[in-house]
Parts: sequence; C-alpha cells; structure tokens
Amino acid sequence: MSGSAAGPPPGKRPLRKLIRGLRASAPGRVGLVLLAFLVVTAVAVLIIYPRDFASAYWSNPAHWADNPRSVPPAWARLVYRPGALRHRIISSTEPTEREETARAHFSRWDFPVDYQAAEPPTSIVVTLREVTFAARPPIVTATLVRPDGGEVRLFREVISGARPGESAPYVRHAEEPFRHVARGDGAAGESLAGHYEAAYGVALDSARLRDAFEALAFGHVVEGDLEPLHGEYTLRLEAMLAGEEDAVTEARLVVGGSVFGVMGTDAWGRDLALGLLYGLPIALAIGLATSTVSTLLGTALGLVSGYTGGRTDLVIQRAADIVANIPVLPLLIFLVFIGGSRLWLILAVLVAFSWPGLTIMVRTMVLQLRHGPEVEAAVSLGASRGRIIAYHVFPHTASYVFAQLVFFAPSAVLAEAGLSFLGLGDPRIPTWGQILEHGFRTGAVFLGYWWWVIPPGLLIVLTAVTFMLLALGMESIVDPRLKGARMWRS
Amino acid sequence: MFLRRLVIRALTMLAVLVAVQILVVVSLGATGYSDRMLQAVIGEQLRGMRPGLAETIRDPDELEAALAAQRIELEQAYGLDRPWYARIPSMVMRVFRLDLGEAHTLRSFSGSNRVADIVLERIPNTIILLTTAMAITAVVGIAVGTRLAGRAGSRIDRAVSYGSAVSYALPAWWVGILLILVLAFRFPIFPSGGMYSAPPPPAGLPRFFDLLHHAALPVLTLVLASLGPYIYVVRTMTITIAQGDHVLAARAKGIPERTISRRHVLRVAAPPIVTGLILGLAGTLGGSILVETVFGWQGMGRLYYEAIAGTPDEMVIVALTFMFTLLYVGARMILEVLYVLLDPRVEAGERAEAVR
Repeated sequence: MSGSAAGPPPGKRPLRKLIRGLRASAPGRVGLVLLAFLVVTAVAVLIIYPRDFASAYWSNPAHWADNPRSVPPAWARLVYRPGALRHRIISSTEPTEREETARAHFSRWDFPVDYQAAEPPTSIVVTLREVTFAARPPIVTATLVRPDGGEVRLFREVISGARPGESAPYVRHAEEPFRHVARGDGAAGESLAGHYEAAYGVALDSARLRDAFEALAFGHVVEGDLEPLHGEYTLRLEAMLAGEEDAVTEARLVVGGSVFGVMGTDAWGRDLALGLLYGLPIALAIGLATSTVSTLLGTALGLVSGYTGGRTDLVIQRAADIVANIPVLPLLIFLVFIGGSRLWLILAVLVAFSWPGLTIMVRTMVLQLRHGPEVEAAVSLGASRGRIIAYHVFPHTASYVFAQLVFFAPSAVLAEAGLSFLGLGDPRIPTWGQILEHGFRTGAVFLGYWWWVIPPGLLIVLTAVTFMLLALGMESIVDPRLKGARMWRS
Repeated sequence: MFLRRLVIRALTMLAVLVAVQILVVVSLGATGYSDRMLQAVIGEQLRGMRPGLAETIRDPDELEAALAAQRIELEQAYGLDRPWYARIPSMVMRVFRLDLGEAHTLRSFSGSNRVADIVLERIPNTIILLTTAMAITAVVGIAVGTRLAGRAGSRIDRAVSYGSAVSYALPAWWVGILLILVLAFRFPIFPSGGMYSAPPPPAGLPRFFDLLHHAALPVLTLVLASLGPYIYVVRTMTITIAQGDHVLAARAKGIPERTISRRHVLRVAAPPIVTGLILGLAGTLGGSILVETVFGWQGMGRLYYEAIAGTPDEMVIVALTFMFTLLYVGARMILEVLYVLLDPRVEAGERAEAVR
C-alpha cells in the first residue's frame, strides 16, 4: 500500500530483483522484448553507418541527386499504386566485360532493366565517376537495347582531354560525376526517332521527343497508339580506353520511377529509411542519457535533503517545489533558442527540469528510514554517514529509483521531438522530430505524403511505449505512487 | 487550514514566476541579447526624435552631434553604461510589463509591430483552445475513470490502462498531423488549419460555427493526448479511496453500494481528481503550443513557431515564455481554488499531499 513509504522490502540486488519482476509481468515482458529489439537495431546502425553520415550524406543534397523527390515506398504498389514504376539505381565499379584489341581496351557494362510497369520512367540518367587516363581521353558510348531488338544510342562523349600544364595521369569527374540525362538530348532523340521510323513507320517530331522521351524509349506503337513495351531492356555502356591503366571507376544507371525503396523519399530525394534508422540510436541515447543524469541528480539531492535535514533540506525542497511547477516546454524553447540548437543543451535543460519529482519522493522515503531500526543500529555501531546512506538507506529506495529511470526516458524522447518539430533541433544530428519538421514545413502533411510523416511519429511512439511498458511492468514491484511522479511531455 | 494550502500554493506560484523571470533575464543578459534589445529600443527612439530636432537644428553636423548626445543620455537612462547584471531588476520589470520594444518581422493582426500588441491579441485564442480541451478531458476522464475503478482488474480496465500508457507516449502534435492526413486530406470533413474560413462568414452564429468547425481537430487532438493519462489517474485515485477504512466502515453499516459510491468514494475522490488535472496542466499547455503550430491556430503557441522560423524575433519569444508561465500560474491557481472548494475538510492539504 502507498501508506508505507519505505517502499519494497530491502533487497541486496535491487536491479536483479527488478528484472525478475519485469519478466513476471506481461507489459514488462513485452517492454523487454521491444527494448532488446530497439537496442540491437541501434547497435547495428552504429556499426554499419559511416561516422560522418549526418554531415557527409544526410545533409548533403548532392548525395541524393539520383533519387526521386517525395515519392512513396516501393511497397505502395501492392496497396494503392499498382502500376507505379520502382525507381532503380544500378551501379557498378566492375565492368561486365573487358576486351582488348590492338588499338584500344574496351570496358563494357550491361545494366539489365526488367520493365513491367504501367507508367513510363520519369528519367533515364547515366552517370560516370572518376575517369582516369594516361594520354588520349576515353570515349564513352551508351546504348539502350530494347526488347523489340531496337538499339537507341543515348550518347557518345569524349571525356575532356589534358589541359595545358597538367601532367598524367589525368583524373576527371572525381568530385562532380559525369551525368547524362537522356531527355532533351538531340542525338538520343534522333536515334530513337530513327528506330520508330524503321520499326513502326512512325515519324516523331522533336517536340514529342522532348516531352515524352522516356515513354517512347520504353514504349511501342500498337494500332497507332503509344503503349508501354514490357520486357527486358539492357543499357549497354562502353568505354574505349587508350591506355593500359585507363579506367572508369564507377558507372551508374538511374531509371526514374515514382516509388522508391522501403520507406520512400523526402523533398530532397533522401532515402527516408536511412534517416529513420539513423534516428533510433539517437533517440535511445537521448532517452537514456537524460533519464540517467536526472535520476542520479534527483536521487542524490533527495538522499542529501532527507538525511541531512535542516537548512540544506529546506533549500533543496523549496527549490524542488519551484522547479517542479515550472511549465517546461516554453522555457525549453526559450533557453534552446537563446543558447543555440545544441543537443547537449537540450538534454541539459531537460535534466535541469526533471529532477524535483524524484528528489521529493526519495526524501520522503529517507525520512522514514532515517528513524527506522536499521539506520539506528548502524548509527549505534558507529557507521559513517556515507556508509549509512550507501548501505542502509539507498538500497531501500533503489527499485523506485530504477523505475524512475525508465519513466523519465519517454518524456525526454518526446520533448526532443517536440522541440525539433518547432525547428529548434540540432541540425548536425538528424532526429525523427527533424524529419517530421522538414515534412511539415515543406507541406508534406497537406499534400498527403503519409510515408514522410507517419513512420517517424510511429517510431517516436514505439520508443516511448517501450519505456512506458517497462515502467508499467515495474510498477507492481515498486510502488503505486509512481503515478504521481512529475511528467513532462510535449 | 485549507486557506494555508492556498497561500502556500500562491507563494510557490509567485516564486515560479519570479524564478522564470530571473532565468529569462539572466540568459538574455549573459548572451548579450538584452544589450542588443536596448540598443534597438534606443535606435527607434532616436529615429523618432530626428524629424523634430531637424526642424530646430539646420546644420547636419550639429544635428548628428545632438543625436549622439541624446543617445548617450538614453544609454545611461536604460543602464547600458552598466554591466547587464546591474540591470536585472529593471529588465525583470520590463518583461513583466511586456515592454520589449518592436518585433523585427512579425506584426499584429492590426499591423502593429509592438511585441506587447502582437502577443496580447493571441492570448484569447490560446485560452479558448486550452479551456475547451481541458473541460472535455475533465468531463470524459471523470466519467470513464470512476466507472473503470468499479471494475478494476477487468478486461476493459486492463485495456484502458494499456491505452493510457500509449496515450502518454503519443506526441499530441503528431496525433494532429495524423488527424489532418485522415480527416482533412483523405476525407475532407474538417479544415486542415486556421481559425476561420477565407473569407470569414458574417459575424454572429455563422462565424461561431465556422470557429467550432476549425477548432474541432485541434481540440480533439489535445483531448486524445491528455485523456489517457487522466483517465488512469482518476481510476487509480478512485480505487485508492474505495479501499479506505471509511468505505469499509460504511459497508459494515449496511449502507447501499450506490450511496457509498456517491457519498463515500466520489465525494472524497473529487479533490485528488482535480490534482490529476493540475498534474496534466503543464503537459496540455506544452501540447497546445505544438498543436497550435500544426493547425495554424492563431494563438501564442503558433506565434512561437512564427517567431523561431525565418528571421528570429527574440523579444517575441521572451514575451511568449513569460506569458505562457503566467497562463500556467493563472490556470494552476484556478484549479487550486477549485480543489479547496471541493475539499471542505480541515486535513485536506495533508491528505492530498499524501496522495500526490
């Protein structure tokens, strides 16, 4: 019952007891499974992701140039967009085939594209990265081989040659890749028109070629109408290299579609799945760091306040009363706005406002323990104050304290998300709240881009619910008074 | 005795207000914001003086000299010749009076750029939203929570307990986004934002109904986010009281169960239920800031978003932080008075403390 503030009977190992109790309760078990899942995923993300993911990839628009903007995930085809074409990026560092003749070396790449969608691609883009040559510049040719046997020459380009004063080996397109967009290219249009003329006897004017290049390249004429031509296409890329050491490091074909990847993309073309995964370790870190520090602070102040008494007690309790009654979000907004959007500052402010509830509770427990038989016995045996607090007072409050630790975590995650949503998130560290904010600011909500705004929120909720379930699971072991604890939320 | 509780609360709230003020002013001073703000105020005043001075002083150099002298005088008057910490008291008063100069880019609905005008006209909009949501939460929460308490441990009770845990984990603003996606975008039943249609319908009943139509989603959002925890608090407090000795005694006397529930449980549970509202107040207030942002509701919360985005308007943010604290303190005191009114017993304060 809540009347006996001494809490649970003293345990030598409160943490072990707590975990055993968690496994005995249904919400606790679900919470533990979810937590394990989240932690394993977060660790995997930390291992797999590059260290500079946020700066070099996520916040770098050039990295996402080949992706479509604001498109739903590929599985949307199964639900409500059956005819949509999946956006495809095929890239390779190793040529499919090499050939040596007396005059030159040839590197060939074959990119197979199985086209079955009802809609034509939105773009056909060929990209080359890092071309190296010793003397004569390479010549690159791209040809689209269609299922009807037609071959459409997309381009034939000579890589820019040696500049005066430059010495071999020459490296081109290392920073800025060579990028060829088929639509609007005169030569590609002519080649396609030639194929239509020969195969279907249809003359294409230049306006039609410009407006519907992809539909024509991936289509055929049936009874006078342009229809999608389904089947296996191959994009053949050939680099004619003069020297032994000449090479193209990476070749890439982008067939633009209207659905992308596992979670779709945002307005920059960023792969939302990557951003959502990256947010997980950050959210867990925010939750755990804030709750650990506030719990330590709250417990320490509570122990000191309760055990020391006198003026210290009075000052701590008055301070706790005041801080506990400050509405957190307005001040959080103000302080982070003034101090700058730094994650550590956000967490520090959260800690600064979250200790009082625990301090007041721990003090109440300590007051009752202080005059109990255990402490009196220890005092009469001459134990030091530190020893008494550590061995005879703290263990009695420990399980309550651990429960609070779990209880603080969701509030911190929610508060950071809310702050990010207002545009005050740390721009160097992408979080779920910031993904949502970006979506909201660019109108994703009002355009119905559900894949952009639902998943990050669901993940915030999942993380918070995990900690809530753990707290709920501990409740029976700890104390029903947990409910009265201060909560902040956004 | 119950007056004592009120006085203590009032003093605490006053201390909260002062503490927030000092925190705000110290942060502004330490980061140099207060200097910049006062310089801007002085600049405005000097610009106002220039035409008047130019009429009497013809020589441009003399005019500049006179303005420079005025500037020094004003700087002294505003205390800019002293370090920022010497100005804390005057800055606190300044924030208290919302005498914070002019906003950079934000304007009030009537076009004024004074920070006080911009912030003050938004207060009623925030209060409408907040009070409606809290009233609905209170009524539904008490109705459901007390009924659940009578069925503690049943399947529905457990389901609602889980539901309130999830509700606690729901960010209100995200719920708002979901509601917009479903009820404004997919099925256009409600408007996705704003307070009135454009153009607004004629004043009177049509405009009132237009306001209700626009308020439906934000209010629903706030209620959904705060209802879960509140139901749980009401339920738990009712159960605690139903297990009390006085209820056992009443039962032993043979008093009918309905009378016990009404007179011995609900009547006693009323004050702690108000406590539940007090506990949820800060959360609902914070929630309203973000929900207003989502729905473009022209209250103080939305103003925060507008002051942060684009050209930041520092002084509007200072004024809002203070006004939200004031709003919280005010709402809190109303609930405290309600608590005392509902709890005529002398030992009220102590009891409630034990429950909280």
